Amino acid sequence: MGVVLRYLIKKSKFLKLLSQNALERKKQEPSQDGPNTPTNLSQSLKTNLDLIKGIIGNNYDVVIREFTFERQRQVNAALIYLSGMTDPTIINESILKPLMFESPFTINSAPKLDDVEMIRTTMLTVGEVNKSANIDEIVDSCLSGSTILLVDNCHEALMIMTADWKSRSVDEPKTESVVRGPREGFIESLLTNTTLLRRKIKNSDLTIESMKIGQRTKTSVCIAYIKGLANPLLIEEIKRRLNDIKTDSILESGYIEQFIEDAPFSIFSTVANTEKPDSAAAKILEGRAAILIDGTPFALTVPMLLIESFQSSEDYYSRPYFVSFIRMIRYLAYAISILAPAIYVALTTFHQELIPTPLLFSMASAQEGVPFPALVEAMGMGVVFEILREAGVRLPRPVGQAVSIVGALVIGQSAVTAGLIGAPMVIVVALTAVASFVVPAQTDSGGILRILFVILAGFSGGFGIMIGFIGLLIHLTSLRSFGTPYLSPLAPLSVSDLKDSFIRAPLWAMIARPRTIGWPDPKRQEFRLKPSPPLEEDTQSK
Amino acid sequence: MRLERGEISSSQLTFLISCFIQGALFPLSLAFPISKHDTWLALIAAFIIGVFIVLIYIALASRFPGKNIIEINDLIYGPYFGKLVSLQYVYFFIISLSGYLWFIGDFVLTFIMPETPIIVIMTMFTFICAWAVRKGIEVIARISVIFVFIPGIIILLTFALLLKNMEFTNFLPVFEVPLEDFIQSTNIIMHISVCEVLVFLMVIPYMNKPKQAKRSVLLGIISGGLILLTGMIRNIAALGPLSEIVTDPSLIAVSLINIGKIISRLEVLVSMAQILLLFIITSVFYYAAVLSVAQITKLRSYLPVVIPIGIIGITLSLISYDSRMQFSYSTMYITPILSMHIYIVIPLVSLIVAKVRKLPQRNGRN
Repeated sequence: MGVVLRYLIKKSKFLKLLSQNALERKKQEPSQDGPNTPTNLSQSLKTNLDLIKGIIGNNYDVVIREFTFERQRQVNAALIYLSGMTDPTIINESILKPLMFESPFTINSAPKLDDVEMIRTTMLTVGEVNKSANIDEIVDSCLSGSTILLVDNCHEALMIMTADWKSRSVDEPKTESVVRGPREGFIESLLTNTTLLRRKIKNSDLTIESMKIGQRTKTSVCIAYIKGLANPLLIEEIKRRLNDIKTDSILESGYIEQFIEDAPFSIFSTVANTEKPDSAAAKILEGRAAILIDGTPFALTVPMLLIESFQSSEDYYSRPYFVSFIRMIRYLAYAISILAPAIYVALTTFHQELIPTPLLFSMASAQEGVPFPALVEAMGMGVVFEILREAGVRLPRPVGQAVSIVGALVIGQSAVTAGLIGAPMVIVVALTAVASFVVPAQTDSGGILRILFVILAGFSGGFGIMIGFIGLLIHLTSLRSFGTPYLSPLAPLSVSDLKDSFIRAPLWAMIARPRTIGWPDPKRQEFRLKPSPPLEEDTQSK
Repeated sequence: MRLERGEISSSQLTFLISCFIQGALFPLSLAFPISKHDTWLALIAAFIIGVFIVLIYIALASRFPGKNIIEINDLIYGPYFGKLVSLQYVYFFIISLSGYLWFIGDFVLTFIMPETPIIVIMTMFTFICAWAVRKGIEVIARISVIFVFIPGIIILLTFALLLKNMEFTNFLPVFEVPLEDFIQSTNIIMHISVCEVLVFLMVIPYMNKPKQAKRSVLLGIISGGLILLTGMIRNIAALGPLSEIVTDPSLIAVSLINIGKIISRLEVLVSMAQILLLFIITSVFYYAAVLSVAQITKLRSYLPVVIPIGIIGITLSLISYDSRMQFSYSTMYITPILSMHIYIVIPLVSLIVAKVRKLPQRNGRN
């Protein structure tokens, strides 16, 4: 009783603190306009420098370089930048050098030296230069890699784009490796990622809009789409959801995903992610929008359909027959990964009459000394498998092998010989485990569904599995991803889109974009693109 | 304000009705003892008569576009007498719901889970239906799009695999049964399959193109009916005189399949398909019951009545039926006669009254 009371009191205090903080923040905002903390720069260089030093001055990586320029060294100025986030050559060669040595003005000839516009237009040899008087804006841009030029007697500062920092080079993606197809993947730098996209789609309609999310991290987020191809309402909705994110940090695209997804309580993800520019470009060309986030190689694409999990970019680079076969194998593997243990449990517990007699005998002899019911066996083995998998994923590679050896030997071999579990159950769990890796995008939903189905099968056999199956379908048909039904093109049915679902039709046959997504401009290509040998008349005339 | 926000397309309605009709294959076994090997003729007769009755429903629905049967009754008979008529529909929906719940319970009990208490099966099934009903007609219709092909494919497949066992002399002599038995069988089949399309008077108003209602309903009935006919011919041809004795001819017929000891035990597929179809039928009745109760009581949303109606359905089925024999007896001899009132008399009277009063034109707000 006392513990509960103490917990409640603590909780109420915490809630109070939460709401107070919000109030205080509101109070502070107007007070910043007061005389103590001015929002705009003043005329005096010294005051401005002190002001900015007060905000970011005591940092290890901030460099403040004061200098004079103009022929007679009459004008004082200062550069502020972050070393490590800026390119020193640009600062030396294109900012300091022109200002200090090639300055065309004398104090008399200079028309109006307090006008920074003059410096910007005539003296700096850097591409992107902006000016501003707002301190917050100046500090923000400095923190994202700009160099700030403050000039005495000027109430505006120049923000010179010099951002450059070490980043990984474009590399082969680790998650979606392909046999055939481009090997470049997104990296952690947003600018490189947008460049990779732009290089795939050289079209003036490709729009990449940017915004900053996260009150403390100020992470750059870009929405990439093709104007006239993506549904304008979709873009509007994405922007609205992104603007609604009021959090202090965005460190990975998963943060964004969890803030914008349609069904946060569903085990199915309604936002797709990809690490490959070609796959992102293909989705954009189907009328979707991609969301690129600074600091992560994973781009999000919306809206997502369930069938996207079963597609791979390589499907479109190989010829259709084998791809269609592989597609069906993927669906089968997903079905196995969620249903195999459940069906095994149902068969051995309730419906032994469905097993062919010879198989039943061998299964019964294998199960002979096993002390547990099938449900317990399946659950236990499922958990052991998940433990082994998780251990293998997180460990460094040399140690990971030890885990797999221990897992295979101890769990697989010894447990069977010791009579703790039956050999058929090991086979079923191993098959399930291998099958669950075939569809990586649905591995997490598959893991949960597998457990649910095993429980249902353990309690009510085949009927339980049917109930679970119907429930799964109810859930899937009611899901929507940014307004698009999650199960389309299957339900609601659109026959033409089935060309790219269970099978993959030849590229020349897929004339239209997916109807539920690319409807603003449905036609992808011309009709009659089917390749054929030249007509006889043509060859004869030649 | 509309209680249902979702919309279904005309093709979805077709699939839904096709599923709905196909699901009658198992209950149809009740007609076998009466009309024996002529049941397939009774089926054709029932569908021909049934289509005309369904035309009455469609005429009623298309006279009042966007209104479900409860609202239509209020317009035709006035707010008080209309409620009285509507209550009969509600009664019919709930009775049908409880009947189907009992049927699925008994079916699962007999063929899949012999030792489970029937109330557990019924509760699980009602729970899943309640979930679908809460998601709205849109979800039920979309699920039917996935389900509609499964039983059809299974029936055609088993038909092909059973060709070896079939003896088409089983149909001879045609028209052997007395006329009154034939009429009775026809009535039972109508009652079980075609006329239950009456429940779609609660669904048709939520189509996005109401003008295509007639086409989709008839298409659904015909496609579903053809599959029913295929299944029935399969059963009679494969089982012969046995089909009148066994409780579920489809399962028994399919269990005859044994090709090279590889393809056998296909009755699992058949019973799976049957559960899927019974889910669609029960959900539609459940949905109609819930929606009509919410409409009569003028609720703003139908969600609060979903669980109570489900509990009522389970309880009613447990009270109404004790055994399979009793269920068969009431479905064969009692309800087909009683339900003529709700299937034929009330809709026909409604249509005539609406025509006499020239209703939709006079009522400005339609």
